[in-house]
Amino acid sequence: MASRDVVQYETPLTRGFRWFSGVFIALYLVWTLLPILVMFVSSFKDLLEAFKIPAVGDWSGVGVFFDFTPTLKHYRDLFVNLDFSRYMANSLVAAGGSAVISVILGSMAAYSLSRIDFRGKSDLFFWIISTRMAPVVAVMVPLYAIFRSLDLVGTLPGLILAYTTFNLPFAIWILKGFFDNVPYAIEEAQMVDGATRFQAFVAILPLVAPGIGAFIVLCILFAWNDFLFAAIIGSGGAKTLPVATRELVQPQNIQWGSIMAAGVVTTLPMMLLGLVIRRYLVTGLTMGAVKE
Amino acid sequence: MARVTFRNVWKKYGDFAAVKDLNIDCPDGTFLSILGPSGCGKSSTMRMVAGLEHISAGDILFDDKRINDLAPKDRDVAMVFENYALYPHKSVFENMANPLKLRGQDTGRIKDRVTQAAQLLEIGHLLERRPQELSGGQKQRVAIGRAIVREPKLFLFDEPIAHLDAKLRAHMRGEIKHMQRTLGTTMVYVTHDQLEAMSMADQIAVMHEGELQQLGSPREVYNKPVNAWVAGFVGEPAMNFLTCELSREADRLSLSHPNFSLALKPDQAGCLNGTTGTVRMGVRPDALAISMTRPAEPVITGEVFVTELLGGDMIVEVQLADARIRVKTAPEFAGSPGEACYLSVNRDKWHAFDTGTGRAYF
Ligand SMILES: Nc1ncnc2c1ncn2[C@@H]1O[C@H](COP(=O)(O)OP(=O)(O)OP(=O)(O)O)[C@@H](O)[C@H]1O
Ligand SMILES: [Mg+2]
Repeated sequence: MASRDVVQYETPLTRGFRWFSGVFIALYLVWTLLPILVMFVSSFKDLLEAFKIPAVGDWSGVGVFFDFTPTLKHYRDLFVNLDFSRYMANSLVAAGGSAVISVILGSMAAYSLSRIDFRGKSDLFFWIISTRMAPVVAVMVPLYAIFRSLDLVGTLPGLILAYTTFNLPFAIWILKGFFDNVPYAIEEAQMVDGATRFQAFVAILPLVAPGIGAFIVLCILFAWNDFLFAAIIGSGGAKTLPVATRELVQPQNIQWGSIMAAGVVTTLPMMLLGLVIRRYLVTGLTMGAVKE
Repeated sequence: MARVTFRNVWKKYGDFAAVKDLNIDCPDGTFLSILGPSGCGKSSTMRMVAGLEHISAGDILFDDKRINDLAPKDRDVAMVFENYALYPHKSVFENMANPLKLRGQDTGRIKDRVTQAAQLLEIGHLLERRPQELSGGQKQRVAIGRAIVREPKLFLFDEPIAHLDAKLRAHMRGEIKHMQRTLGTTMVYVTHDQLEAMSMADQIAVMHEGELQQLGSPREVYNKPVNAWVAGFVGEPAMNFLTCELSREADRLSLSHPNFSLALKPDQAGCLNGTTGTVRMGVRPDALAISMTRPAEPVITGEVFVTELLGGDMIVEVQLADARIRVKTAPEFAGSPGEACYLSVNRDKWHAFDTGTGRAYF
């Protein structure tokens, strides 16, 4: 295998380009990170301090942003008065539950689609992804009607089911590609070694770990950040963080402090997830085991 | 240990028949080699035995038990795959331990068996590595190791040493043969290298385009090939073929050619009874003797075309009227290109084949 070290040659063009990309990335970072910084800082500020803004053009007044006495009162408010721990648990269960179910069903379906030839396979495969072609809003009304007649509205299982219907086709599509890249010979060797078909399937799961990792992240992100399903299917009994945050905006009174704190509470777990899962997203494990 | 029987076995991929009506009986403890050129259906045959490929028609039996519908794990075979098929996410040790682990052996025994096999294959120092950190030959040895840690009913080796260097290959030929003898396990060994098949097998099944050509001991296949194709495939350097006219003079049948006319022995003439016209004469380079002076007996006359010195042997290519033939001789041979030379034929060791079908007369 060729080494991955990139051979580089220095020309005025590459130097200029490097300079340009440095500036571009710096600007881009400011653009994306500033709102998060403001959210983070404001959540620790008293409401009066949060609205202190220097006059336009007064650059020396920037210090005002960081001149405050930190307070945890918004967080206390969220978790003591507003029952946010329950909403957070709801969010976790809904996102985690649908991710687990989608991964289990999706990997088995993807494996079958990848390994077995049967009549109508390509039609089936297309049908699976076609379920994602209609926008969520378009299916909301019928979905609500179905869920209501099944008494699933306002329950966590209902919400998990709703997320799973949307994540499963996605799981199948992503994972099939990963299974296609695992040589069938590896399972054959497992079976000759004494594994059942199912054991052979389980044995190659580490090889599709990057795919599973990527999918879990996408699936959890989708469910965790979802507002529409949570507001309509989960309303009442299965309130999640985005819906609860939205309810902090009341006609007479927008509770900025709590909203900022809720934003932090909602964002942090996803950042942690990203850090944890990063090492599973490394591909290239299959290289070299089978003669091409 | 098992006796393996193929009964009218066919393998079809769609309309294409890769294996045609295969019948082989391989007694318990036999080293059977399936020999044939690339694409002749060797691997397909092997994979049907392992249970990885559906058997299109016919039956495969282990000890009189039909195994067509058994899952691979229930067949108790160990296979070395042509493409290694190692587990990329596992170390060499774990690769080799896998069959034992799946059969629930305890860790102490697993460690013993794997270490022992690794030692035999000279890969003891690689046990901690992963497959992508190995060379082709090392991978191949790990694949062999994974098969021999167990004591299965049947070994299936699909070109297991094709990627080793010549020296290691010779060494592994001996090791594999010795291992098979000691364990007494039936072995099906696929190769396209006739030297490997000749030197290791008890029985050779020669295949060509999906059809079994000949099944026999290495000696039989070499000395009594059933047709011109087998005769040409087995043996290195390859057999020489010359198209000859059959001529009858005073009750003696001879093969005539612009360069010679040689009488057949009486039993050979018997085999050709009723045949007229042309036949293909076949003679191996080592059944010919070359000299620069005309001997008393009837000979083939020709002229030296080129000489190749191969260590302990010399191969001389001799130009005849319509063809070139190769002769094996001692390295002291002194003829130089362009000189006339005389070839005498060992008539116990020549062959005649039908010009059309290639079937051997003798
Ligand atoms: N899955 C398949 N689908 C269609 N044709 C196949 C398939 N596998 C093999 N064949 C064909 O069947 C024939 C026999 O293949 P096989 O792999 O048994 O050959 P082989 O004798 O093992 O050759 P080699 O020495 O190159 O490994 C070949 O012509 C090949 O193209
Ligand atoms: Mg093959």
